[in-house]
Amino acid sequence: MRLDAQQVNEIAQESRLLLTEQELDGAVRYINNFLDMLDRFKELDLKDVEPFSFAEALECPLRDDKVIPFTDTEAILHESGHVDGSYFKVPRIIEE
Amino acid sequence: MELYELNLRDAIAGLRDKKFSASELFDSCKARIDSCEGKIHAFITRTDSTPQPCANPSGLLAGIPTVLKDNLCTRGIRTTAASKILGEWRPPYDATAWKSLKEAGAILMGKVNMDEFAMGNTCGNSAFGPTHNPNDISRVPGGSSGGSAAAVSAGYVPFSLGSDTGGSIRQPASFCGVYGLKPTYGMVSRYGLISYGSSLDQIGPFARTVEDLQVIMSVISGHDPMDSSSFRDRPHDFSRKDDFSLKGKRVALVKEFQDFTLDAPIAEAMAKTRKILEDEGAIITEISLPVVARYAVACYYALAMSEAHTNLERYDGVRLGYTVKDAPGIKEMFERVRSYGFGSEVKARIIAGTCLTEPTRCEEYYVAATKVRTLIAQEFTRAFGETEFILQPVTPSLPGKIGEPEEDAMKGYETDLYTLPVNLAGLPGLSFFTGYAGSLPVGLQLIGPRWSDSDLLNTGIILERHLGTPKIANGGEC
Repeated sequence: MRLDAQQVNEIAQESRLLLTEQELDGAVRYINNFLDMLDRFKELDLKDVEPFSFAEALECPLRDDKVIPFTDTEAILHESGHVDGSYFKVPRIIEE
Repeated sequence: MELYELNLRDAIAGLRDKKFSASELFDSCKARIDSCEGKIHAFITRTDSTPQPCANPSGLLAGIPTVLKDNLCTRGIRTTAASKILGEWRPPYDATAWKSLKEAGAILMGKVNMDEFAMGNTCGNSAFGPTHNPNDISRVPGGSSGGSAAAVSAGYVPFSLGSDTGGSIRQPASFCGVYGLKPTYGMVSRYGLISYGSSLDQIGPFARTVEDLQVIMSVISGHDPMDSSSFRDRPHDFSRKDDFSLKGKRVALVKEFQDFTLDAPIAEAMAKTRKILEDEGAIITEISLPVVARYAVACYYALAMSEAHTNLERYDGVRLGYTVKDAPGIKEMFERVRSYGFGSEVKARIIAGTCLTEPTRCEEYYVAATKVRTLIAQEFTRAFGETEFILQPVTPSLPGKIGEPEEDAMKGYETDLYTLPVNLAGLPGLSFFTGYAGSLPVGLQLIGPRWSDSDLLNTGIILERHLGTPKIANGGEC
């Protein structure tokens, strides 16, 4: 097994996920099986292979530089449970 | 014949010729939904309590009812991606594909079920419970776009939209006995599609005839300045070509797939379809896709999970969806929102994606997968120098029972081998109906090179002429 429960739990915390004991057991099994599957890549010589991109997408398309007003900010703010005036208000980020 | 039984083209003609009104068509579809929905559970949100106003009474789709997979944003209408984490979110904008349908006059009957964030192939991995296959309600409809396929199969609506990241249109179309097209990546704008794997996701249609797929593609395809991956200057003539012929065209079977075990009805459908193609003048050949056969599943899941992990970072409870009010700090708030809001399959994929893209592992796994993807795309490019189309199953087996214990997740992923390489190479794939095995429909898949969507659909029309058009499913005896 490459990753133990503690390592998987640390990765989960990086993703801002708290796992129950049962979820953690499942995640450990899942991720180790998955990494075993990815071992197949080692059979290939990938040294001179470029990462994938669609041939048509080599040029990055840019939109015309013109302002398109979005007037319905109310609809956006209405969907948040953390609004103060016309701002999103979040819990304290910087410790005192 | 009831109006809800009409396919799209006949419904358009009937409305145009004033054989019935849009209101009568709406009422017939609504009555059908009322009658069946208790057993099928295709909807997450219904919007058909009263007819929605038609945005364009002279449009191609004026008065035609439809449903959308619930990962397509609909302005002011709840959009959940079948997840608790989006709560009661009402998007402030429409997905471009839905906007195009609306501007052509289509009427939304509701938003339909799916696997959470499109991660799954049964439509059972939804915070809203499973959808049932209208052909046999003890069985899964497939996924992730199971609600979209079930709604068309059961006669709720003549067409619907879904999305396909690794087979999520083609597999449920096959399981439910309808046609489904996964278009070429870049053919349909993804603006307003809730992202799973952005380099793999593509929106596409379901319908009960191939010609109906052509009608929908003529409306939703094309460049959109709001999606930089929708390509400019690409031909997209989706009109029916009566002079289209398969004479001399090559259709290949994949050599490496020939030893795999298929359910008998699927193997029989392959033989039957092969014979039809030969009778139409096509040349059946064999191609070799060794990299696809051995590495596509691992490559796909490495990329899909890596992209999913970044796409799902945005769900933090601040701007939209489910949230908590009393967290002491921002970290605790994120943790509580995400731990409650995401289901277990989504959590597992986020953790896997985080693991693969960490600096210490990124080169070994994520970057390697992007290179393997290049080899897979090159293999398909070479193959399409030797053939016009590839014929293959959609899945190795017919739909399973709802609630059957899950096999090992990695083995389950292996069953996606027939569908997910298409997404890795950005190809179009048509899932088409071939007949029934008892009550269950049997579908197969035809794949073409990039931008061959129109030829695929014209080939599908020829196949439909020989194989027959699916019936409206009545498994729920509604």
